Amino acid sequence: MRVFALLSKELADLRRNPAVFLPAVITGAISIILPFFVAIIVPYVTGERLSDSSDFRVAIDMYRSQAGSRRLDPEGAIQAWIFQQFLLLLVLTPIAGAMSMAAYTVIGEKQARSLEPLLATPISTFELLAAKVLGSLLPSVGLSVACFVVYLAAVAAVANPGVFLILFAPRSLAIVFLIGPLAALVALQLAVCVSSRVNDARSAQQMGALVILPLSGLLVAQLTGNVELTLPVIVLIVAVLLLLNAGLMRIGIALFDRESILTRWK
Amino acid sequence: MATLAAAHLTRRFGVRTAVEDVSFELAPGEIFALLGPNGAGKTTTLRMLAGLIEPSVGAVSVDGKPMSRGNAAMLRGKIGFLTEAPGLWDRLTVRQNLTVYARLHGLPDQRRAVDATMELFGIRDRADEFAAQLSKGLKQRVALARALLHEPGIVLLDEPTSGLDPESARDVRGLVLRLRDERRAVLLSTHNLDEVERVADRVAVLRTRMVAVDTPAALRARLFGVQLRVRLAQPAEPFITSAVGAGVSDATAEGQTLSMAVDDAVVRAPAIVRRLVAAGADIQTVAAAEPSLEEVYLRLLESGERPAAP
Repeated sequence: MRVFALLSKELADLRRNPAVFLPAVITGAISIILPFFVAIIVPYVTGERLSDSSDFRVAIDMYRSQAGSRRLDPEGAIQAWIFQQFLLLLVLTPIAGAMSMAAYTVIGEKQARSLEPLLATPISTFELLAAKVLGSLLPSVGLSVACFVVYLAAVAAVANPGVFLILFAPRSLAIVFLIGPLAALVALQLAVCVSSRVNDARSAQQMGALVILPLSGLLVAQLTGNVELTLPVIVLIVAVLLLLNAGLMRIGIALFDRESILTRWK
Repeated sequence: MATLAAAHLTRRFGVRTAVEDVSFELAPGEIFALLGPNGAGKTTTLRMLAGLIEPSVGAVSVDGKPMSRGNAAMLRGKIGFLTEAPGLWDRLTVRQNLTVYARLHGLPDQRRAVDATMELFGIRDRADEFAAQLSKGLKQRVALARALLHEPGIVLLDEPTSGLDPESARDVRGLVLRLRDERRAVLLSTHNLDEVERVADRVAVLRTRMVAVDTPAALRARLFGVQLRVRLAQPAEPFITSAVGAGVSDATAEGQTLSMAVDDAVVRAPAIVRRLVAAGADIQTVAAAEPSLEEVYLRLLESGERPAAP
């Protein structure tokens, strides 16, 4: 109950200060536009089809070998491949949203001197941190889902027939609804851990941003064909993220030292 | 039984001792003022009492229950703590600020509790204003309303009138007096001696250790005795010897005024007046003079008096 009480405050605060969400909106927009630029706009403007380039042969071969995508024409297969690879970029949207908010969750309270009266209530450290994390995570995931819906709608509207169905599949849904939120949660918890110990929101943001590095690596590995995000790989990533989150929650509670926050922060 | 009891509270931060061996009890319907210079340990003491930080040594009891790590959250619900800064959420309205706290305290009918509290504190017409838009006095009022929303039996107030204009400060004093009428135990930490003079039943002077604890009148009597001042129509110097007698331990003259330390002004005044008149003095006024609480406070800090019984 107390978690929801503080969560309602966090969301009300966000409604009054939506600008804090701008980095996430920009990230989401770029994540949506970039693959369309590569798969649709560039071929349209240059008049050269992607399937004419040997660079994308791997995509055509891959989709021909799978029963569900065998009916795609060569251009559609390449489009499906590009849209699937760039789907990982959408995962950055909730992370960017979470990061822009999370760093201020504890530090902001301290700077506004609103943490001491809050700590004087019966709220526990777990409840406080849970509300802070959810307050950043839920809007970020909401934005991410909205971006995914726009992404799918745009694919349905402008991509070749059949590409939409390739994207609207368990693999894509797992990336957006599992890897995205869990990676955002890792970033958030890192930021909250750091923001419990420092007085500078930027330090917390930088630490949380570290999560972007392995995801970027994954994106590159995927594009170069070194890694394929098959369902077993996704399950493995999800398991690792779950473990990381469980560990970070424990560390976060241990690091959130009420006494230090009250007596050492000036 | 005391509502709030501090027993030998000591708090160290590394090698620095912020509070040492502080003991006192607070009864329902009592306003207890904690005085002390900056860095004397007042806020640290309040934080220990509010269950925000643990004492290094000693214990806090609420309604007879010793506060521990296990029950601190529950006991915090019995305490209302007005922190030094209002600490309102600026982007939330007054109503939203209070509603979140009503929910944090698990009040059954939150809307009614918030409405009733806003009514009580005269902020109902400001319910939909954002906290950032409020004046300092109003913010303090909202913070006080927030501290009392859950109707705690114990109220800890850290500098409640600091930085307020005289009118707002008077309003806050009125609210503090109302808390006493409601039989709540109020602990007031302040630098404002005038405020303490007006509202406090007992005063504690703290300078890391407890320097003194008593009623303002008892502290005055203990440090200064009772002063009787007699103004004459002529120079007072020649009448010093006439003034000294039974119950008058000391007399001094300054211009036309004789000042005497007496054990009881009401009992001794008639005999003193008789002796002075017999000696030829023309008396204009006779008054018992009380040293201000500021004089008492400064004398206590200078003398470093050892603690009195709480």
